[in-house]
Amino acid sequence: MSDLQFKFAQLLSSNIPPDQTDLGGETIASVVITGISVVFMGLIILILLVTLYGKIFEGINKSAEAKAKAKAEAEAAAKAKAAEAAAKEAPAPAPAPAPAPAVEDGIEEEVVAAIMGALSVMYEGSGKKPVLKGVKAAKPRRSAWSAAGIMDNTRPF
Amino acid sequence: MAIIQSFLDTLAQLAQESGFAGFFADGGWKNIIMILISFVFMYLAVGRGFEPLLLLPISFGMLLTNLPGADLYHPEYWEYLKVTDRYGEVNDHYIDYNRILEHGGLLDILYMGVKLQLYPPLIFLGIGAMTDFGPLIASPRSFLLGAAAQGGIFFTFVGAAILNMSAADCASIAIIGGADGPTSIFVSSKLLTKNSACSVGTIALAAYTYMALVPIIQPPIMRALTTKKERSVVMGQLRPVSRLEKLIFPVLVTLIIALMIPSAAPLVGMLMFGNLLKESGCCDRLVKTAQNELMNIITIFLGVTVGATTQADKVISLDFGKVMLLGVIAFSLGTACGILLGKLMYILTKGKINPLIGSAGVSAVPMAARISQKVGQEEVPTNYLLMHAMGPNVAGVIGSAVAAGVLLAIVK
Repeated sequence: MSDLQFKFAQLLSSNIPPDQTDLGGETIASVVITGISVVFMGLIILILLVTLYGKIFEGINKSAEAKAKAKAEAEAAAKAKAAEAAAKEAPAPAPAPAPAPAVEDGIEEEVVAAIMGALSVMYEGSGKKPVLKGVKAAKPRRSAWSAAGIMDNTRPF
Repeated sequence: MAIIQSFLDTLAQLAQESGFAGFFADGGWKNIIMILISFVFMYLAVGRGFEPLLLLPISFGMLLTNLPGADLYHPEYWEYLKVTDRYGEVNDHYIDYNRILEHGGLLDILYMGVKLQLYPPLIFLGIGAMTDFGPLIASPRSFLLGAAAQGGIFFTFVGAAILNMSAADCASIAIIGGADGPTSIFVSSKLLTKNSACSVGTIALAAYTYMALVPIIQPPIMRALTTKKERSVVMGQLRPVSRLEKLIFPVLVTLIIALMIPSAAPLVGMLMFGNLLKESGCCDRLVKTAQNELMNIITIFLGVTVGATTQADKVISLDFGKVMLLGVIAFSLGTACGILLGKLMYILTKGKINPLIGSAGVSAVPMAARISQKVGQEEVPTNYLLMHAMGPNVAGVIGSAVAAGVLLAIVK
């Protein structure tokens, strides 16, 4: 074992000439151990750093989201107040605001916003006012046609 | 009468100087066999779609280099010379580039890009400009699978050494297990000498052949090493990755890997530079050039010149058989190592990781990831492992570049 340790240390400080044959068991073992451990060491360092900055960015994104949410809520409350005041002043009853859609747990607000945005673009100019009543995740099981469609779209990757 | 005699003499002289006469000269039969082998590879590329973008130029380079009298490539120009420089230092790896520029053929001139290690890093630039590291950033543990799959490289080194091959041969054959053509060419062009059993061309041929055979080689190993329950694991959705994270990643990887293993810097550096160009979002013209024109031009140069190094005496030999055998072992071991670490991660995460994504750790982007997806869907048709497998897949590209750097640092 001490021989192997010596070889390992020797390998890091010296080199094997390209034309050398008959490398010997110890040299071969030290190449394998050195190679695998250096590759793992390099990539483990990257895992740690990428995880670390991933956590930092996740934290930043979450706090930004929370701020945006609080801001949106405050704006909505202010609008509701203004609408209430306007309703008191005007004799005609204002149309009731659409109820908030029932959103299933786990679905992000951005997704709901994107769906709402898509709906309003679709109905723009038609005179109709679409109301999003609920958003829920699709069942994991897909129909054969749906699966074939997804397969077709992801095949180039 | 004199005119007829002169006409016949001229014809005879032309026939003697023609390439056809070369086939009947000493060893000319080997050229015929090599040309026939080039036809086989052309068929595999065109008829069977085996990595055609590289196998077709390689096979045509093989055809050109074996045409007697064409003098497109001169292997003797690339033999290392032993010289003493003006400072009295002996250099036994000297190549006379002036001689090549003055007397070399077209393929000699183009081969300078291989020998000077220009083409593989430039190919990596294009690969970087096409790669999305998002799945890897979202799930950094994928790096481990990319590292494990490089085990095939080092275990094959053992196999080649047992067959009493030289250190350069061992390293060049072993790197085939990384399933990364440019990396294999990068390592072999730097290490192999005229005394080596294999050439850059034979290494490239083996590497690209096995990369094309990923859909045949990997699935049986994947099925043999995993249970039905493991293959049926449906993995959760990956977190979204911000643009800033994607921008930091290439800089971070370059700094860590290039400082840790400087010999891996050309490959990793260019890979990450290409990726930074892509993620920057402000260098569209450069990204398009790296992804398309530059990549295509280099692919043509690389393929045709690597093919030119496949001389008859290197291919029609037992050593080429050894390269092919050890190559497939390297590839299979890499796949197995990735799967086995995937199994360990499956146990440690209590069944949250599908071990099939481990096989994608052998680069071969994106084919290896697609195989993980395909084998996973055999158990659960609605299971989409593709993005999860892309993490280990792109980690494998970085891992094989690091492994190449380690081999180059050890063998020199």
